[in-house]
Amino acid sequence: MRERLKDNLFRTWIVLSTSLVFIIVVYMFLYIFINGAGTISREFLFSDPKGMPMGSEGGIFPAIVGSLLLMLIACVFASILAISTAIYLVFYCSSERVKRLIHLIIQCMSGVPSIILGLFGYTSLVLHLGLGRSLISGGITLGVMIFPYIQVRVEKTLIEVDKSVVDASYALGVSKVYTLYKLIFPMCKFDIVSAITLAGGFAMGAAAPIILTAAVIFAPVPESIFSPVMALPFHLYILTGEGISLEKAYGTALVLMLILLIINIISALINFTRKEHE
Amino acid sequence: MRKIREKIFEILIKILTAFSVLILAFVVIFIFKESLTFFKEVSIWKFITGRKWNPLGPPEELSILNIICGTVYVSLVGIAIALPIGIGTAVVLSCYTNENIKRLIRGILDILAGVPSVVYGFIGLLVVVKFFEVNFSFASGESVLSGGIVLSVMLLPFIVSTCDESMEKIYREYSQSSRALGVSKGYMIRNILLPASKRSILASVVLALGRGMGETMAVMMVIGNAPIIPRLLGKTQTIPSLIALEMGMAEVGSLHYHALFASGFVLMIMLLIINGLLYFIKNKMDI
Repeated sequence: MRERLKDNLFRTWIVLSTSLVFIIVVYMFLYIFINGAGTISREFLFSDPKGMPMGSEGGIFPAIVGSLLLMLIACVFASILAISTAIYLVFYCSSERVKRLIHLIIQCMSGVPSIILGLFGYTSLVLHLGLGRSLISGGITLGVMIFPYIQVRVEKTLIEVDKSVVDASYALGVSKVYTLYKLIFPMCKFDIVSAITLAGGFAMGAAAPIILTAAVIFAPVPESIFSPVMALPFHLYILTGEGISLEKAYGTALVLMLILLIINIISALINFTRKEHE
Repeated sequence: MRKIREKIFEILIKILTAFSVLILAFVVIFIFKESLTFFKEVSIWKFITGRKWNPLGPPEELSILNIICGTVYVSLVGIAIALPIGIGTAVVLSCYTNENIKRLIRGILDILAGVPSVVYGFIGLLVVVKFFEVNFSFASGESVLSGGIVLSVMLLPFIVSTCDESMEKIYREYSQSSRALGVSKGYMIRNILLPASKRSILASVVLALGRGMGETMAVMMVIGNAPIIPRLLGKTQTIPSLIALEMGMAEVGSLHYHALFASGFVLMIMLLIINGLLYFIKNKMDI
Protein backbone atom coordinates (compact mmCIF):
# COMPACT_ATOMS: atom_id res chain seq x y z
CA MET A 1 0.00 0.00 0.00
CA ARG A 2 2.71 2.45 0.95
CA GLU A 3 4.63 1.40 -2.14
CA ARG A 4 1.60 2.28 -4.25
CA LEU A 5 1.31 5.71 -2.68
CA LYS A 6 4.98 6.40 -3.22
CA ASP A 7 4.67 5.34 -6.82
CA ASN A 8 1.74 7.64 -7.42
CA LEU A 9 3.47 10.56 -5.77
CA PHE A 10 6.53 9.91 -7.86
CA ARG A 11 4.50 9.81 -11.06
CA THR A 12 2.69 13.02 -10.20
CA TRP A 13 6.00 14.72 -9.52
CA ILE A 14 7.63 13.84 -12.81
CA VAL A 15 4.52 14.52 -14.90
CA LEU A 16 4.00 17.85 -13.17
CA SER A 17 7.56 18.98 -13.66
CA THR A 18 7.63 18.06 -17.33
CA SER A 19 4.34 19.81 -18.02
CA LEU A 20 5.55 22.83 -16.09
CA VAL A 21 8.49 23.15 -18.48
CA PHE A 22 6.10 23.06 -21.44
CA ILE A 23 3.77 25.58 -19.86
CA ILE A 24 6.59 28.01 -19.08
CA VAL A 25 7.90 27.97 -22.63
CA VAL A 26 4.48 28.34 -24.24
CA TYR A 27 3.47 31.06 -21.80
CA MET A 28 6.63 33.10 -22.36
CA PHE A 29 6.35 33.00 -26.11
CA LEU A 30 2.64 33.75 -26.18
CA TYR A 31 3.16 36.59 -23.72
CA ILE A 32 5.74 38.27 -25.92
CA PHE A 33 3.94 37.58 -29.18
CA ILE A 34 0.50 38.71 -28.07
CA ASN A 35 1.74 41.88 -26.41
CA GLY A 36 4.33 42.76 -29.00
CA ALA A 37 2.48 41.99 -32.22
CA GLY A 38 0.54 45.26 -32.18
CA THR A 39 3.67 47.38 -32.04
CA ILE A 40 5.38 45.87 -35.05
CA SER A 41 4.95 48.00 -38.10
CA ARG A 42 6.97 49.16 -41.04
CA GLU A 43 7.73 52.37 -39.24
CA PHE A 44 8.82 50.59 -36.05
CA LEU A 45 11.24 48.36 -37.93
CA PHE A 46 12.75 50.90 -40.30
CA SER A 47 12.99 54.24 -38.56
CA ASP A 48 15.15 55.84 -35.88
CA PRO A 49 13.98 56.15 -32.29
CA LYS A 50 12.42 59.54 -31.61
CA GLY A 51 10.61 61.39 -28.90
CA MET A 52 11.47 62.63 -25.49
CA PRO A 53 12.76 60.63 -23.63
CA MET A 54 14.54 59.00 -26.53
CA GLY A 55 12.82 55.83 -27.65
CA SER A 56 9.27 56.63 -26.57
CA GLU A 57 8.34 57.08 -30.22
CA GLY A 58 9.73 56.01 -33.55
CA GLY A 59 11.47 52.75 -34.34
CA ILE A 60 14.44 50.58 -33.64
CA PHE A 61 16.23 50.34 -36.97
CA PRO A 62 19.72 51.35 -35.70
CA ALA A 63 19.42 48.79 -32.89
CA ILE A 64 18.61 45.99 -35.33
CA VAL A 65 21.55 46.89 -37.57
CA GLY A 66 23.84 47.34 -34.55
CA SER A 67 22.94 43.96 -33.12
CA LEU A 68 23.52 42.20 -36.43
CA LEU A 69 26.91 43.89 -36.89
CA LEU A 70 27.98 43.03 -33.34
CA MET A 71 27.01 39.43 -33.98
CA LEU A 72 28.97 39.36 -37.24
CA ILE A 73 32.18 40.70 -35.68
CA ALA A 74 31.85 38.36 -32.70
CA CYS A 75 31.35 35.36 -34.98
CA VAL A 76 34.34 36.18 -37.19
CA PHE A 77 36.65 36.79 -34.23
CA ALA A 78 35.50 33.76 -32.26
CA SER A 79 35.40 31.28 -35.11
CA ILE A 80 38.95 32.01 -36.31
CA LEU A 81 40.27 31.29 -32.83
CA ALA A 82 37.90 28.43 -32.10
CA ILE A 83 38.52 26.53 -35.33
CA SER A 84 42.29 26.94 -35.01
CA THR A 85 42.25 25.68 -31.44
CA ALA A 86 40.08 22.74 -32.39
CA ILE A 87 42.35 21.83 -35.32
CA TYR A 88 45.39 22.08 -33.10
CA LEU A 89 43.88 19.85 -30.43
CA VAL A 90 42.65 17.20 -32.83
CA PHE A 91 45.37 17.07 -35.49
CA TYR A 92 48.56 18.57 -34.10
CA CYS A 93 48.70 18.19 -30.36
CA SER A 94 50.30 14.93 -29.35
CA SER A 95 50.67 15.43 -25.62
CA GLU A 96 47.75 14.26 -23.51
CA ARG A 97 48.76 16.62 -20.75
CA VAL A 98 48.65 19.72 -22.95
CA LYS A 99 45.28 18.63 -24.27
CA ARG A 100 43.88 18.25 -20.80
CA LEU A 101 45.28 21.62 -19.75
CA ILE A 102 43.71 23.37 -22.73
CA HIS A 103 40.39 21.68 -22.06
CA LEU A 104 40.50 22.81 -18.44
CA ILE A 105 41.23 26.38 -19.52
CA ILE A 106 38.39 26.38 -22.03
CA GLN A 107 36.03 24.97 -19.43
CA CYS A 108 37.02 27.75 -17.04
CA MET A 109 36.57 30.31 -19.78
CA SER A 110 33.05 29.17 -20.49
CA GLY A 111 32.35 29.65 -16.79
CA VAL A 112 33.54 33.25 -16.66
CA PRO A 113 30.35 35.30 -16.45
CA SER A 114 29.59 37.71 -19.25
CA ILE A 115 29.72 40.77 -17.00
CA ILE A 116 33.35 39.97 -16.11
CA LEU A 117 34.12 39.77 -19.82
CA GLY A 118 32.43 43.14 -20.14
CA LEU A 119 34.70 44.53 -17.43
CA PHE A 120 37.70 43.04 -19.21
CA GLY A 121 36.63 44.56 -22.52
CA TYR A 122 36.08 47.90 -20.81
CA THR A 123 39.52 48.15 -19.23
CA SER A 124 41.55 46.49 -21.99
CA LEU A 125 39.85 47.52 -25.23
CA VAL A 126 37.86 50.64 -24.40
CA LEU A 127 40.38 52.31 -22.08
CA HIS A 128 43.87 50.85 -22.61
CA LEU A 129 43.72 50.34 -26.37
CA GLY A 130 41.67 53.50 -26.74
CA LEU A 131 39.03 51.96 -28.97
CA GLY A 132 36.29 53.68 -27.02
CA ARG A 133 32.75 52.40 -26.78
CA SER A 134 32.53 50.97 -30.24
CA LEU A 135 31.36 48.22 -32.49
CA ILE A 136 34.80 46.63 -32.48
CA SER A 137 35.20 46.61 -28.68
CA GLY A 138 31.76 45.09 -28.19
CA GLY A 139 32.26 42.61 -31.02
CA ILE A 140 35.53 41.30 -29.64
CA THR A 141 34.12 41.06 -26.12
CA LEU A 142 31.18 39.04 -27.41
CA GLY A 143 33.63 36.97 -29.46
CA VAL A 144 35.54 36.04 -26.32
CA MET A 145 32.23 35.05 -24.77
CA ILE A 146 31.18 32.65 -27.55
CA PHE A 147 34.67 31.28 -28.27
CA PRO A 148 34.44 28.29 -25.87
CA TYR A 149 31.01 27.42 -27.18
CA ILE A 150 32.15 27.21 -30.83
CA GLN A 151 35.42 25.51 -29.93
CA VAL A 152 33.75 22.65 -28.05
CA ARG A 153 31.32 21.94 -30.89
CA VAL A 154 33.91 22.17 -33.68
CA GLU A 155 36.27 19.90 -31.79
CA LYS A 156 33.51 17.35 -31.32
CA THR A 157 32.78 17.43 -35.06
CA LEU A 158 36.43 17.03 -35.98
CA ILE A 159 36.84 14.08 -33.61
CA GLU A 160 33.83 12.37 -35.13
CA VAL A 161 35.41 12.42 -38.60
CA ASP A 162 36.13 8.87 -39.66
CA LYS A 163 39.72 8.21 -38.58
CA SER A 164 40.31 5.65 -41.33
CA VAL A 165 39.68 8.25 -44.05
CA VAL A 166 42.26 10.56 -42.52
CA ASP A 167 44.77 7.74 -42.08
CA ALA A 168 44.24 6.61 -45.67
CA SER A 169 44.93 10.14 -46.85
CA TYR A 170 48.16 10.32 -44.83
CA ALA A 171 49.18 6.88 -46.09
CA LEU A 172 48.87 8.12 -49.67
CA GLY A 173 51.40 10.79 -48.82
CA VAL A 174 48.86 13.60 -48.85
CA SER A 175 49.93 16.48 -46.64
CA LYS A 176 48.09 17.48 -43.48
CA VAL A 177 46.99 20.86 -44.81
CA TYR A 178 45.67 19.38 -48.04
CA THR A 179 43.83 16.67 -46.11
CA LEU A 180 42.26 19.33 -43.92
CA TYR A 181 41.11 21.52 -46.79
CA LYS A 182 39.99 18.92 -49.26
CA LEU A 183 38.80 16.11 -47.06
CA ILE A 184 37.93 17.16 -43.56
CA PHE A 185 36.45 20.63 -44.05
CA PRO A 186 34.03 19.53 -46.76
CA MET A 187 32.87 16.77 -44.43
CA CYS A 188 32.39 19.07 -41.44
CA LYS A 189 31.42 22.38 -42.99
CA PHE A 190 27.71 22.10 -42.24
CA ASP A 191 28.33 21.26 -38.60
CA ILE A 192 30.82 24.09 -38.21
CA VAL A 193 28.56 26.67 -39.84
CA SER A 194 25.65 25.50 -37.71
CA ALA A 195 27.73 25.82 -34.53
CA ILE A 196 28.79 29.35 -35.50
CA THR A 197 25.23 30.42 -36.30
CA LEU A 198 23.95 29.15 -32.95
CA ALA A 199 26.74 30.92 -31.11
CA GLY A 200 25.93 34.07 -33.09
CA GLY A 201 22.40 33.98 -31.75
CA PHE A 202 23.76 33.64 -28.26
CA ALA A 203 26.03 36.66 -28.79
CA MET A 204 23.20 38.71 -30.19
CA GLY A 205 21.01 38.23 -27.14
CA ALA A 206 23.71 39.06 -24.61
CA ALA A 207 23.43 42.47 -23.01
CA ALA A 208 25.89 42.32 -20.12
CA PRO A 209 29.14 42.38 -22.14
CA ILE A 210 28.08 45.31 -24.30
CA ILE A 211 26.69 47.60 -21.59
CA LEU A 212 30.22 48.75 -20.86
CA THR A 213 31.90 48.20 -24.21
CA ALA A 214 29.63 49.14 -27.09
CA ALA A 215 26.03 50.04 -26.48
CA VAL A 216 24.70 53.56 -26.04
CA ILE A 217 21.16 54.82 -25.59
CA PHE A 218 21.05 56.44 -28.96
CA ALA A 219 23.34 56.29 -31.97
CA PRO A 220 22.65 56.36 -35.69
CA VAL A 221 23.46 53.36 -37.86
CA PRO A 222 27.24 52.97 -37.33
CA GLU A 223 29.49 54.38 -40.04
CA SER A 224 32.70 52.62 -39.04
CA ILE A 225 33.72 49.89 -36.65
CA PHE A 226 34.91 52.57 -34.24
CA SER A 227 31.53 54.20 -33.72
CA PRO A 228 29.24 53.36 -30.81
CA VAL A 229 26.10 51.40 -31.61
CA MET A 230 22.62 50.67 -30.39
CA ALA A 231 21.77 47.05 -29.70
CA LEU A 232 18.42 45.32 -29.25
CA PRO A 233 19.00 43.74 -25.82
CA PHE A 234 20.41 46.96 -24.40
CA HIS A 235 17.61 48.99 -25.93
CA LEU A 236 15.08 46.64 -24.35
CA TYR A 237 16.78 47.04 -20.99
CA ILE A 238 16.75 50.82 -21.22
CA LEU A 239 13.12 50.95 -22.32
CA THR A 240 11.99 48.82 -19.35
CA GLY A 241 14.54 49.85 -16.77
CA GLU A 242 13.94 53.55 -17.21
CA GLY A 243 10.24 53.00 -17.78
CA ILE A 244 10.30 54.86 -21.10
CA SER A 245 7.73 52.93 -23.08
CA LEU A 246 6.28 49.55 -22.28
CA GLU A 247 4.67 49.22 -25.69
CA LYS A 248 7.97 49.80 -27.51
CA ALA A 249 9.67 47.38 -25.10
CA TYR A 250 7.23 44.60 -26.04
CA GLY A 251 7.91 45.31 -29.68
CA THR A 252 11.69 45.28 -29.18
CA ALA A 253 11.51 41.99 -27.26
CA LEU A 254 9.42 40.46 -30.03
CA VAL A 255 11.82 41.62 -32.76
CA LEU A 256 14.77 40.23 -30.79
CA MET A 257 13.04 36.89 -30.30
CA LEU A 258 12.03 36.72 -33.97
CA ILE A 259 15.56 37.39 -35.19
CA LEU A 260 16.89 34.71 -32.84
CA LEU A 261 14.20 32.33 -34.04
CA ILE A 262 15.25 32.94 -37.65
CA ILE A 263 18.91 32.34 -36.74
CA ASN A 264 17.99 29.09 -35.02
CA ILE A 265 15.87 27.95 -37.94
CA ILE A 266 18.76 28.66 -40.32
CA SER A 267 21.07 26.63 -38.12
CA ALA A 268 18.56 23.76 -37.96
CA LEU A 269 18.11 23.88 -41.74
CA ILE A 270 21.87 23.66 -42.25
CA ASN A 271 21.93 20.63 -40.00
CA PHE A 272 19.03 19.16 -41.92
CA THR A 273 20.74 19.65 -45.30
CA ARG A 274 23.76 17.86 -43.96
CA LYS A 275 21.65 14.84 -43.02
CA GLU A 276 20.11 14.87 -46.50
CA HIS A 277 23.58 14.76 -48.02
CA GLU A 278 24.62 11.72 -46.09
CA MET B 1 57.47 24.94 -51.32
CA ARG B 2 54.81 22.61 -50.02
CA LYS B 3 56.86 21.92 -46.93
CA ILE B 4 57.02 25.64 -46.19
CA ARG B 5 53.28 26.04 -46.55
CA GLU B 6 52.74 23.14 -44.18
CA LYS B 7 55.08 24.69 -41.69
CA ILE B 8 53.48 28.13 -41.92
CA PHE B 9 50.03 26.66 -41.41
CA GLU B 10 51.18 24.70 -38.40
CA ILE B 11 52.81 27.74 -36.83
CA LEU B 12 49.74 29.86 -37.53
CA ILE B 13 47.49 27.30 -35.87
CA LYS B 14 49.81 27.14 -32.88
CA ILE B 15 49.93 30.91 -32.49
CA LEU B 16 46.16 31.23 -32.67
CA THR B 17 45.71 28.43 -30.16
CA ALA B 18 48.19 30.02 -27.81
CA PHE B 19 46.37 33.32 -28.19
CA SER B 20 42.98 31.80 -27.39
CA VAL B 21 44.35 30.06 -24.35
CA LEU B 22 46.01 33.27 -23.23
CA ILE B 23 42.73 35.20 -23.37
CA LEU B 24 41.74 33.70 -20.03
CA ALA B 25 45.07 34.82 -18.59
CA PHE B 26 44.49 38.32 -20.06
CA VAL B 27 41.06 38.47 -18.45
CA VAL B 28 42.42 37.46 -15.06
CA ILE B 29 45.45 39.75 -15.29
CA PHE B 30 43.53 42.83 -16.42
CA ILE B 31 40.90 42.48 -13.72
CA PHE B 32 43.54 41.72 -11.09
CA LYS B 33 45.66 44.69 -12.11
CA GLU B 34 42.76 47.10 -11.77
CA SER B 35 41.71 45.68 -8.42
CA LEU B 36 45.25 45.70 -7.03
CA THR B 37 45.10 49.49 -6.69
CA PHE B 38 42.05 49.04 -4.50
CA PHE B 39 43.52 46.27 -2.37
CA LYS B 40 46.51 48.50 -1.63
CA GLU B 41 44.18 50.94 0.12
CA VAL B 42 41.62 48.62 1.63
CA SER B 43 42.60 45.18 2.88
CA ILE B 44 40.96 42.27 1.09
CA TRP B 45 39.70 40.92 4.41
CA LYS B 46 37.90 44.13 5.23
CA PHE B 47 36.53 44.25 1.70
CA ILE B 48 34.82 40.86 1.87
CA THR B 49 33.74 40.94 5.52
CA GLY B 50 32.49 44.50 5.87
CA ARG B 51 28.82 45.20 5.38
CA LYS B 52 28.64 48.81 4.18
CA TRP B 53 28.68 49.76 0.51
CA ASN B 54 28.55 53.51 0.20
CA PRO B 55 30.59 54.70 -2.77
CA LEU B 56 29.31 58.26 -2.69
CA GLY B 57 30.47 58.87 0.88
CA PRO B 58 31.86 60.66 2.70
CA PRO B 59 33.22 58.58 4.24
CA GLU B 60 33.54 56.22 1.30
CA GLU B 61 32.87 52.74 2.59
CA LEU B 62 33.35 49.92 0.18
CA SER B 63 32.83 46.38 1.41
CA ILE B 64 30.69 43.74 -0.14
CA LEU B 65 29.70 41.03 2.31
CA ASN B 66 26.01 41.85 1.86
CA ILE B 67 26.42 41.73 -1.88
CA ILE B 68 28.28 38.41 -1.83
CA CYS B 69 25.51 36.99 0.36
CA GLY B 70 22.91 38.36 -2.05
CA THR B 71 24.67 36.75 -5.03
CA VAL B 72 24.82 33.34 -3.37
CA TYR B 73 21.32 33.61 -1.90
CA VAL B 74 19.59 34.38 -5.20
CA SER B 75 21.41 31.50 -6.90
CA LEU B 76 20.54 29.06 -4.13
CA VAL B 77 16.86 30.03 -4.25
CA GLY B 78 16.96 29.60 -8.02
CA ILE B 79 18.55 26.15 -7.72
CA ALA B 80 16.14 25.09 -4.97
CA ILE B 81 13.21 25.85 -7.26
CA ALA B 82 14.75 24.49 -10.44
CA LEU B 83 16.25 21.27 -9.09
CA PRO B 84 13.07 19.25 -8.40
CA ILE B 85 11.54 20.36 -11.70
CA GLY B 86 14.76 19.65 -13.56
CA ILE B 87 15.28 16.18 -12.09
CA GLY B 88 11.65 15.28 -12.76
CA THR B 89 11.99 16.33 -16.39
CA ALA B 90 15.30 14.50 -16.73
CA VAL B 91 13.69 11.29 -15.42
CA VAL B 92 10.86 11.56 -17.93
CA LEU B 93 13.32 12.39 -20.67
CA SER B 94 15.63 9.45 -19.98
CA CYS B 95 13.18 6.71 -18.97
CA TYR B 96 9.66 7.33 -20.21
CA THR B 97 9.86 8.68 -23.72
CA ASN B 98 10.54 7.48 -27.24
CA GLU B 99 12.93 9.17 -29.64
CA ASN B 100 10.43 11.65 -31.09
CA ILE B 101 9.20 13.01 -27.78
CA LYS B 102 12.78 13.14 -26.56
CA ARG B 103 13.65 15.32 -29.52
CA LEU B 104 10.65 17.55 -28.79
CA ILE B 105 11.54 18.03 -25.11
CA ARG B 106 15.20 18.67 -25.94
CA GLY B 107 14.14 21.19 -28.57
CA ILE B 108 12.02 23.00 -26.02
CA LEU B 109 14.88 23.06 -23.54
CA ASP B 110 17.18 24.41 -26.25
CA ILE B 111 14.69 27.20 -26.88
CA LEU B 112 14.61 27.95 -23.15
CA ALA B 113 18.42 28.10 -23.10
CA GLY B 114 18.45 30.34 -26.16
CA VAL B 115 16.14 33.05 -24.84
CA PRO B 116 18.32 36.08 -24.04
CA SER B 117 18.62 36.89 -20.36
CA VAL B 118 17.33 40.40 -20.84
CA VAL B 119 14.06 38.95 -22.13
CA TYR B 120 13.83 36.81 -18.98
CA GLY B 121 14.37 39.92 -16.93
CA PHE B 122 11.71 41.76 -18.91
CA ILE B 123 9.12 39.02 -18.43
CA GLY B 124 10.19 38.60 -14.81
CA LEU B 125 9.63 42.27 -14.13
CA LEU B 126 6.24 42.39 -15.81
CA VAL B 127 4.91 39.02 -14.64
CA VAL B 128 6.66 37.76 -11.49
CA VAL B 129 7.31 41.09 -9.78
CA LYS B 130 3.87 42.38 -10.69
CA PHE B 131 2.28 39.15 -9.44
CA PHE B 132 3.77 39.68 -5.99
CA GLU B 133 2.78 43.32 -5.95
CA VAL B 134 -0.82 42.74 -7.01
CA ASN B 135 -1.68 39.49 -5.24
CA PHE B 136 0.22 39.85 -2.00
CA SER B 137 0.17 43.64 -1.92
CA PHE B 138 3.87 43.89 -1.20
CA ALA B 139 5.28 47.38 -1.28
CA SER B 140 7.71 46.13 -3.86
CA GLY B 141 7.76 42.77 -5.60
CA GLU B 142 11.43 43.13 -6.37
CA SER B 143 13.05 40.58 -4.08
CA VAL B 144 15.40 37.66 -3.70
CA LEU B 145 12.43 35.37 -4.33
CA SER B 146 11.57 37.04 -7.67
CA GLY B 147 15.22 36.79 -8.68
CA GLY B 148 15.25 33.13 -7.70
CA ILE B 149 12.10 32.36 -9.68
CA VAL B 150 13.39 34.06 -12.83
CA LEU B 151 16.78 32.44 -12.41
CA SER B 152 15.25 28.98 -11.89
CA VAL B 153 13.69 29.07 -15.36
CA MET B 154 17.05 30.02 -16.85
CA LEU B 155 18.87 27.24 -14.99
CA LEU B 156 16.41 24.49 -15.93
CA PRO B 157 17.95 23.59 -19.30
CA PHE B 158 21.43 23.24 -17.75
CA ILE B 159 20.17 21.04 -14.94
CA VAL B 160 18.11 18.81 -17.21
CA SER B 161 20.81 18.30 -19.81
CA THR B 162 23.49 17.50 -17.22
CA CYS B 163 21.29 14.97 -15.38
CA ASP B 164 19.67 13.45 -18.44
CA GLU B 165 22.90 12.31 -20.06
CA SER B 166 24.05 10.03 -17.27
CA MET B 167 20.53 8.98 -16.27
CA GLU B 168 19.97 7.58 -19.72
CA LYS B 169 23.19 5.58 -19.47
CA ILE B 170 22.27 4.20 -16.07
CA TYR B 171 18.75 3.39 -17.20
CA ARG B 172 20.01 1.38 -20.14
CA GLU B 173 22.39 -0.48 -17.91
CA TYR B 174 19.78 -1.61 -15.37
CA SER B 175 16.44 -1.59 -17.15
CA GLN B 176 16.68 -5.08 -18.58
CA SER B 177 17.81 -6.85 -15.44
CA SER B 178 15.25 -5.07 -13.30
CA ARG B 179 12.48 -5.90 -15.75
CA ALA B 180 13.60 -9.53 -15.73
CA LEU B 181 13.29 -9.51 -11.95
CA GLY B 182 9.77 -8.15 -12.21
CA VAL B 183 10.56 -4.87 -10.50
CA SER B 184 8.27 -2.02 -11.48
CA LYS B 185 9.75 0.84 -13.42
CA GLY B 186 8.90 3.44 -10.79
CA TYR B 187 10.50 1.38 -8.02
CA MET B 188 13.63 0.84 -10.07
CA ILE B 189 13.97 4.55 -10.85
CA ARG B 190 13.46 5.58 -7.25
CA ASN B 191 15.77 3.01 -5.71
CA ILE B 192 18.45 2.51 -8.35
CA LEU B 193 18.47 5.28 -10.90
CA LEU B 194 18.19 8.30 -8.62
CA PRO B 195 20.82 7.16 -6.09
CA ALA B 196 23.15 6.16 -8.92
CA SER B 197 22.91 9.54 -10.57
CA LYS B 198 23.78 11.42 -7.39
CA ARG B 199 27.07 12.59 -8.84
CA SER B 200 25.59 14.03 -12.00
CA ILE B 201 22.91 15.77 -9.95
CA LEU B 202 25.71 17.27 -7.88
CA ALA B 203 27.48 18.32 -11.07
CA SER B 204 24.30 19.99 -12.31
CA VAL B 205 23.94 21.89 -9.02
CA VAL B 206 27.52 23.13 -9.22
CA LEU B 207 27.08 24.12 -12.86
CA ALA B 208 23.83 25.92 -12.05
CA LEU B 209 25.45 27.70 -9.12
CA GLY B 210 28.16 29.03 -11.40
CA ARG B 211 25.65 30.14 -14.01
CA GLY B 212 23.36 31.70 -11.46
CA MET B 213 26.03 33.67 -9.67
CA GLY B 214 27.31 35.11 -12.92
CA GLU B 215 23.91 36.01 -14.34
CA THR B 216 23.54 39.74 -14.83
CA MET B 217 20.61 41.11 -16.75
CA ALA B 218 17.71 38.91 -15.72
CA VAL B 219 18.58 39.08 -12.04
CA MET B 220 19.40 42.77 -12.09
CA MET B 221 15.99 43.69 -13.43
CA VAL B 222 13.99 41.94 -10.69
CA ILE B 223 15.92 42.18 -7.40
CA GLY B 224 15.68 45.88 -6.66
CA ASN B 225 19.44 46.42 -6.30
CA ALA B 226 19.85 47.62 -2.73
CA PRO B 227 23.06 46.57 -0.96
CA ILE B 228 21.39 45.50 2.29
CA ILE B 229 21.36 42.22 4.20
CA PRO B 230 19.42 39.91 1.89
CA ARG B 231 16.10 38.49 3.08
CA LEU B 232 13.86 36.24 1.03
CA LEU B 233 11.22 38.89 0.45
CA GLY B 234 13.49 41.91 0.57
CA LYS B 235 15.54 43.71 -2.01
CA THR B 236 19.11 42.69 -2.58
CA GLN B 237 22.10 43.26 -4.81
CA THR B 238 24.38 40.84 -6.66
CA ILE B 239 27.96 41.39 -7.77
CA PRO B 240 27.18 41.30 -11.52
CA SER B 241 24.31 43.75 -11.14
CA LEU B 242 26.47 45.99 -8.98
CA ILE B 243 29.10 46.14 -11.70
CA ALA B 244 26.63 46.63 -14.53
CA LEU B 245 24.79 49.41 -12.73
CA GLU B 246 27.62 51.39 -11.20
CA MET B 247 30.46 51.00 -13.70
CA GLY B 248 29.00 53.65 -15.94
CA MET B 249 28.82 56.18 -13.10
CA ALA B 250 32.20 55.48 -11.52
CA GLU B 251 34.88 57.92 -12.51
CA VAL B 252 37.78 56.13 -14.23
CA GLY B 253 40.65 55.74 -11.76
CA SER B 254 38.62 56.56 -8.65
CA LEU B 255 38.48 54.26 -5.65
CA HIS B 256 34.91 53.35 -6.56
CA TYR B 257 36.05 52.29 -10.03
CA HIS B 258 38.75 50.06 -8.61
CA ALA B 259 36.36 48.67 -5.99
CA LEU B 260 34.05 47.51 -8.76
CA PHE B 261 36.95 45.69 -10.38
CA ALA B 262 37.79 44.21 -7.02
CA SER B 263 34.26 42.87 -6.63
CA GLY B 264 34.50 41.46 -10.14
CA PHE B 265 37.74 39.83 -9.12
CA VAL B 266 36.13 38.24 -6.06
CA LEU B 267 33.28 36.93 -8.20
CA MET B 268 35.70 35.54 -10.78
CA ILE B 269 37.77 33.73 -8.16
CA MET B 270 34.62 32.18 -6.67
CA LEU B 271 33.49 31.04 -10.11
CA LEU B 272 36.90 29.70 -11.12
CA ILE B 273 36.89 27.58 -7.97
CA ILE B 274 33.37 26.38 -8.75
CA ASN B 275 34.33 25.52 -12.33
CA GLY B 276 37.48 23.72 -11.27
CA LEU B 277 35.30 21.69 -8.91
CA LEU B 278 32.90 20.94 -11.73
CA TYR B 279 35.73 19.80 -13.98
CA PHE B 280 36.88 17.31 -11.38
CA ILE B 281 33.38 16.02 -10.63
CA LYS B 282 32.86 15.47 -14.36
CA ASN B 283 36.22 13.75 -14.79
CA LYS B 284 35.42 11.39 -11.95
CA MET B 285 32.03 10.70 -13.47
CA ASP B 286 33.52 9.29 -16.67
CA ILE B 287 35.69 6.74 -14.91
